[in-house]
Amino acid sequence: MKKILLVILIVLPFAAQLVVLPFVNRIDPIILGLPFLQFWLFLWIVLTPFCTFGIYQLQKSQGGLD
Amino acid sequence: MQQGNLTALSITICIILTVVLIGFLAGRDKATRSSVEEWSVGGRRFGGLLVWFLVGADLYTAYTFLGLTSTAYTAGSLAFFAIPYSVLAYFISYFFLPKLWKVANHHKLTTLADYARERFDSKLLSSLIAIVGVLMLIPYICLQLSGIQDTLQVAGTGFINVKVVVITSFFLVALYTFFSGIKGPTYTAIIKDVLVWAIMLFMVVSLPIMHFGGWNPMIDKIVTEAPQLLTIPTEGPKGIPWFITASFVSALALFMWAHAATGVFTAKSADAIRKNALYLPLYNIVLILVVFLGFIAFLVLPDGTDPRFALLALIQTSYGGIGQGLAYSTIALASLIPCSIMAIGASNLFANNIYRDLINPKVKGAKLTMITRGMVFVVIGLALLFGLVFPQALVSLQLLGVSGMVQIFPAIVVSLFWRNQTREATIIGLLVGLAVTFTVYSTGTSLGIYEGFWGLMANFAAIVVLNPLFVKKAKVSTNDVKDYLFGRKSKEVDLVRKGA
Repeated sequence: MKKILLVILIVLPFAAQLVVLPFVNRIDPIILGLPFLQFWLFLWIVLTPFCTFGIYQLQKSQGGLD
Repeated sequence: MQQGNLTALSITICIILTVVLIGFLAGRDKATRSSVEEWSVGGRRFGGLLVWFLVGADLYTAYTFLGLTSTAYTAGSLAFFAIPYSVLAYFISYFFLPKLWKVANHHKLTTLADYARERFDSKLLSSLIAIVGVLMLIPYICLQLSGIQDTLQVAGTGFINVKVVVITSFFLVALYTFFSGIKGPTYTAIIKDVLVWAIMLFMVVSLPIMHFGGWNPMIDKIVTEAPQLLTIPTEGPKGIPWFITASFVSALALFMWAHAATGVFTAKSADAIRKNALYLPLYNIVLILVVFLGFIAFLVLPDGTDPRFALLALIQTSYGGIGQGLAYSTIALASLIPCSIMAIGASNLFANNIYRDLINPKVKGAKLTMITRGMVFVVIGLALLFGLVFPQALVSLQLLGVSGMVQIFPAIVVSLFWRNQTREATIIGLLVGLAVTFTVYSTGTSLGIYEGFWGLMANFAAIVVLNPLFVKKAKVSTNDVKDYLFGRKSKEVDLVRKGA
């Protein structure tokens, strides 16, 4: 279970910022004053640290860090 | 060139001189230059916050601000490739930098090439990596140079001889770097980072209000008048495949740069580095907004403005003397301080991995420290020479910098996790990767994909195919770094050693 979560947290930033780009490459809807593509990139500036933090906590709980 | 502004010029020069002074004061304790380790990586004593400032100062340079706005001005949203690039670079770094730092700390290594030498027992590999690093870094220092040159040209036309001031300011930076080592740029980095955040946010808030009456009216105007700026082009030579591969390859390459590695090695613990990997993406909040300044320039500036000056011309037409002065000094500092860290990185490679590993293996101690420090003048001198005398000759190297640097990724990062990676395959892979990158670039056959991506694929392919040919020896041989990374290997190693 934890292993699956770990893999998801690792894959997610790559998928969101590279793989799905063709689908988010659009102007509408404009959110928080940002056209959609820019909003999406902005969103992942904020979300990526959460993924990293999740991985950090998982590794810590497994005693993988020293 | 339009006449400059005297108030702006005076503020810029005052701030530059203050920072240079602080750079000197930072090194008043003699210990800062007592050894290569002290001078180049601050004795590895920097905590999380200091490393954050240092790496931030390192990577967000004048070229970042001037280059991104000018890309946004000419190529629209392609400029946003810098966002996933740097966010992913920090994310990826979380998985290998702590490990690399531990090896470097344990074995007292100060450059990436040092690591490769110890990991693979190969001075050939370490000097190759050093040559690639220095060759790619000098053009990058040149970019910083043209950044400050452009800034002073806009600020000081009619008042000063720009070339003389540029040479003087770089000489001062070389001098304080020689004197204070990494402590110089670290303390000044804090000033630079605070200024960058304050000034960039100020511009992002005030410019839309001044020119369009607010942020939302500005977005409306871009959507109706220049919607092509807001999405990644779906046709043409650079489209989505370029955007994706450029982001990915640049992300892998970021910490392969000598100046980035220097910044990382100053950390006092692996945990300080993990925390940095966590918080550094937030630095990009300012970066994404800066790209919009390029769009503002596109709408506001008259047709025919040189894209290279997009941001500077925008500042000049929008602000009075004080605003201009603060903005110019921010860009000037963003050019001088990274330059100092880059010079430390390049000098370190030059002295340790080209001079010592290749030419004079016996050199050590005080003499090596002196040579490392002295190389600062050579590196900055070379950058000045190329930048002022042959500005065109370096364009290719600048464009290929990232694609070239990423080729050492297998030697530095993959080798942390793959015990049986062999020296021979790694060296050949590196050379194949470089050759493919240059061939693709010079023949223009990239097929809409980032050049470095082809090079890296060829690099990996060569390693995977050739590794089995040499793996027998790598399996049984060991060394301190391998033992440290993978633990003492099985009995057979001992048996082989006893037998030998």
